[in-house]
Amino acid sequence: MSFREKSAWGMGTLMVVTGLLWVLHMDWAFSDDHVHVFEIAHFFVAVIILSIIIQAVLAVTNRGEARKPADERERLAIWRAGHWAGSVLAVGVILSALVYGLHGGGASNLFNGVVASLIVAQFAQYAFQIYFLRKGM
Amino acid sequence: MGKAPPITNRVKQLREEHDGMSQQALADAIGVTRQTVIAIEQGKYSPSLESAFRISRVFGVGVEDVFGWEG
Repeated sequence: MSFREKSAWGMGTLMVVTGLLWVLHMDWAFSDDHVHVFEIAHFFVAVIILSIIIQAVLAVTNRGEARKPADERERLAIWRAGHWAGSVLAVGVILSALVYGLHGGGASNLFNGVVASLIVAQFAQYAFQIYFLRKGM
Repeated sequence: MGKAPPITNRVKQLREEHDGMSQQALADAIGVTRQTVIAIEQGKYSPSLESAFRISRVFGVGVEDVFGWEG
């Protein structure tokens, strides 16, 4: 398994775990109509710190590969994955806006929908990277 | 997505003919990862024109001796 694929597995797993934790602990988000910026900020800071730890561990355990830039196939896989993940994000944001427009529910629900779309799109990016790196292009 | 391109190649055969050159050695020679050489040999990825020329130069043959069009 290449360094890029290991990285995608690590980051994808991180997004699933932190995304599920966020969903399980977001009952506070529905308790009122305020956008809980600080709670969301805590979540993103935790994701950034864990991402740095994962990348550092991968870099130490794969020193040779980590130093090299992505090659042409990996760059293409990353670019295509980003393209599809962008579509996932767009669909998520449009759905969130539609739900907000049709059912209302307050600005916090729209905010949470967009944040959830971001998390799903980020996960999709890593999942697509693994798919393209494994299955070919 | 993931459909194999209609381009055939003799990379594995040429590698074996060159004293059993390893995939890693070929990857280092052309500046890609070993996984990319594996993907090329399995027909899962068609290399760029630059990499195709690099591969043919490593083996001392023309590009058309390494790559072909299916059918």
